[in-house]
Amino acid sequence: MDTISNMLYGFQVVLTFQNILFVFIGVLAGTLIGMLPGLGPISAIAIMIPLSYGMDPASALILMAGVYYGAVFGGSTSSILLNAPGISGTVATSFDGYPLAKQGYAGKALAIAAISSFAGGTVSVVALMLVAPLMASFAVSFGPTEYFALMLLGLTAIASLSEGSTVKALISATIGLIIATIGVDQQTGTQRFTFGNPNLLEGIDFLIIALGLFALAEVCSLILSRKSKMMNGNTNVGSLKITKKEAKEISGPIARHSVLGFILGVLPGAGATIASFMSYITEKKISKDPSSFGKGNLKGLAAPETSNNAATSGAFVPLLTLGIPGSGTTAVLLGALLVVGVQPGPLMLTDHPDVFWGVIASMYLGNLFLLVLNLPLIPFIARILYIPKALLISLVIIFCMIGVYGVSFSTFDLYLLLAFGIIGFIMRLLNFPAAPLILAFILGGMMEQSFRQALTISNGNYMTFLDSKVTIVLLILSLLSLTLPVIKSKFSKKPTEEEKEHLAS
Amino acid sequence: MVMSLLLGSALLLSACGSNESSVESSAEGSGEWSPDKPIEMIAPAGAGGGWDTTARTISKVMEKENIIDKRMAVANKPGGGGAVGWSYVNKKGGNHTLFVTSPPILFVPLNGQSKLAHNDFTPIAGVIADYSAFVVPANSPYDNMNDLVEALKEDPKAVSVVGDSAPGSMDHMAFVKAVKAAGVDIKQLKYVSAQDGSGMSMLLGNKVDVYSTGLAEATEQARAGKVKVLAITSPEPLEGETVSEFPTLKEQGIDDEFVVWRGIMGPKDMDPAAAKFYEQAVKDMMETEEWKTQRDNFGWNDNFMSGDQFKDFLDQEYKTMEELLKEVGLAK
Repeated sequence: MDTISNMLYGFQVVLTFQNILFVFIGVLAGTLIGMLPGLGPISAIAIMIPLSYGMDPASALILMAGVYYGAVFGGSTSSILLNAPGISGTVATSFDGYPLAKQGYAGKALAIAAISSFAGGTVSVVALMLVAPLMASFAVSFGPTEYFALMLLGLTAIASLSEGSTVKALISATIGLIIATIGVDQQTGTQRFTFGNPNLLEGIDFLIIALGLFALAEVCSLILSRKSKMMNGNTNVGSLKITKKEAKEISGPIARHSVLGFILGVLPGAGATIASFMSYITEKKISKDPSSFGKGNLKGLAAPETSNNAATSGAFVPLLTLGIPGSGTTAVLLGALLVVGVQPGPLMLTDHPDVFWGVIASMYLGNLFLLVLNLPLIPFIARILYIPKALLISLVIIFCMIGVYGVSFSTFDLYLLLAFGIIGFIMRLLNFPAAPLILAFILGGMMEQSFRQALTISNGNYMTFLDSKVTIVLLILSLLSLTLPVIKSKFSKKPTEEEKEHLAS
Repeated sequence: MVMSLLLGSALLLSACGSNESSVESSAEGSGEWSPDKPIEMIAPAGAGGGWDTTARTISKVMEKENIIDKRMAVANKPGGGGAVGWSYVNKKGGNHTLFVTSPPILFVPLNGQSKLAHNDFTPIAGVIADYSAFVVPANSPYDNMNDLVEALKEDPKAVSVVGDSAPGSMDHMAFVKAVKAAGVDIKQLKYVSAQDGSGMSMLLGNKVDVYSTGLAEATEQARAGKVKVLAITSPEPLEGETVSEFPTLKEQGIDDEFVVWRGIMGPKDMDPAAAKFYEQAVKDMMETEEWKTQRDNFGWNDNFMSGDQFKDFLDQEYKTMEELLKEVGLAK
């Protein structure tokens, strides 16, 4: 009952002309910025912060939150159409989204992404409303050992991200882990692999690697195949329509990953990226036909897209209930709150109920706006594919460069981008998958820090990893995830081929 | 489209700038020197952080109260814990570039991560002060700083301290300095660096024993009864709701203080007259009602220092920190 009256109060805050306008402006700006490869929620929010000076705190956060989940919502577009993920949360989206677009189902892929995003966003807002205060203690229950085990679980999935050679996937992942060690070591302050170059002190930005390995490598392939129309010239956008069978197919992943995404989003530090990868991997693991993943499987698109949006709402749990930022983006959001004079903390719910409930209510509205905004726009957005290849290639290169330069304003990073583009292209030629590299890079850094934090706290005693039930469960899951496929492949014959064709029907 | 719009407005701005400068470059009251074009205020970090907020607030009050009749535009130069912004200011030079700074300009060079240090710039004025707070979970066995110090004296490895900054940087050294003053063997202290900002989360989850952080972060959690503040590093007890209940180190018999100061600096080659001009402007600004409103809003404390005082203070702090870092084996 309390929740209902609180929610009504929230809607009372939101349903003023001014705040509806802010929700709208927020999601519109967010989704447009998010669509551009290389520009994600952090840059989108940073652009908006100066606008919020002097605004009413509730309105300011409503606007910023709109920009945030709007950018995650829109981020799938460049992943699907151009294989150029703008934010880490949509890398997994490109695994099956881009192949779909290539096969002429761009419209359908975008529609599924929009619907999954909407569902993930909405389910998790309901969860946020109902269980936010309860989840607060869950959010802080994860310490270094738990994070280490969680990241390890993620890493064990690397083998499942490979198409073909597992050895190549492991080599690729190892390179990712090595890259993650570049920069100043956070626990000792020692410089690692920086070669005295100050540009490497903070390590290599995720965006550079993602855009290099995915977008620029793709561009290279496109340039090579520019004359053979047969290979890649699929400019068919296809229909947006989703058949009943397809709707049924994606309803399972949507339901599962709204919940999983929300839970992972609640954990400070995990966030949308890890949620989307975990969802993709889980979906692939439980699938009857894992080999169709990475080739345009609808579930493989719906799962990460649901999850990353669900995680976005989840990230508001520690922010709103504890005043703790769970990610880089929510840290910037927290800064925006400070700017308008609200000190976030555990008492925000009592001190500023208008901010708390107003933001939650605004997210219902915002997700609806996003769906209504995005669906009709899809045919127009997908027309990007009609742009002549020569122009499109140049545009993608330019956007990648703007995206990278916009983060650091450093020309050094542009060279790095180029280097990773070349590495990505060579990897493609030699059939090394790029996904394990990026996954290992994302997880590896956090995993190492958590591991060492845990050991510092325990004075070097490894038994600390068996102190918490959550850690033990996660470690057992990692072990199973690693060994089960091996055992399974020894005892069962190969999966049937018939289901692979279901997409064509 | 956007580019041309930006370009257009930039042209317009510079046109306005040059118009004004021809009229009043020599007619300023407060000194012999006055700016003849818009001033660039650098926040050597991203939007939303402490440096950014300070830079934007100062520029806003300056403009609103007409302290300086030129525009003061804030630009963010994030990266390297400030090093990127500092090298930008250093390269730019001249009399129209300022930046907001705080203890990292001592720590980052001391940790070997920036070639430029505080003495490569012109200190203009100290502006505000904040303090560190050492907090423990509400159910912690430690009720005051002396309990903690006793535990540390008995076994420095029994207590884990977490902070959001790098080892050898602010959160770490504020704690090291305090417990050293209390007689703890600082070489063996355990410091966990949580640079993704998860320090408070680790503390609330009882994964670590002590969290060294800024006063503002601690206040809200203490007000909610989630944490106990063992000590704050201000020289005097603070005034205000909740913060007045926090004991200082000195009140608990530990002779130490640590000021998280924020101030303004300019490039090394800045004309001394220009530095004096800005110093006066900061002083005037801090007397306006608008500043006082903003300051209270953010929970800052005024801590004006003239350029000379600021310089002496920095030199002194640098020496202290250098010795401490050497002792814990982190000096580069």
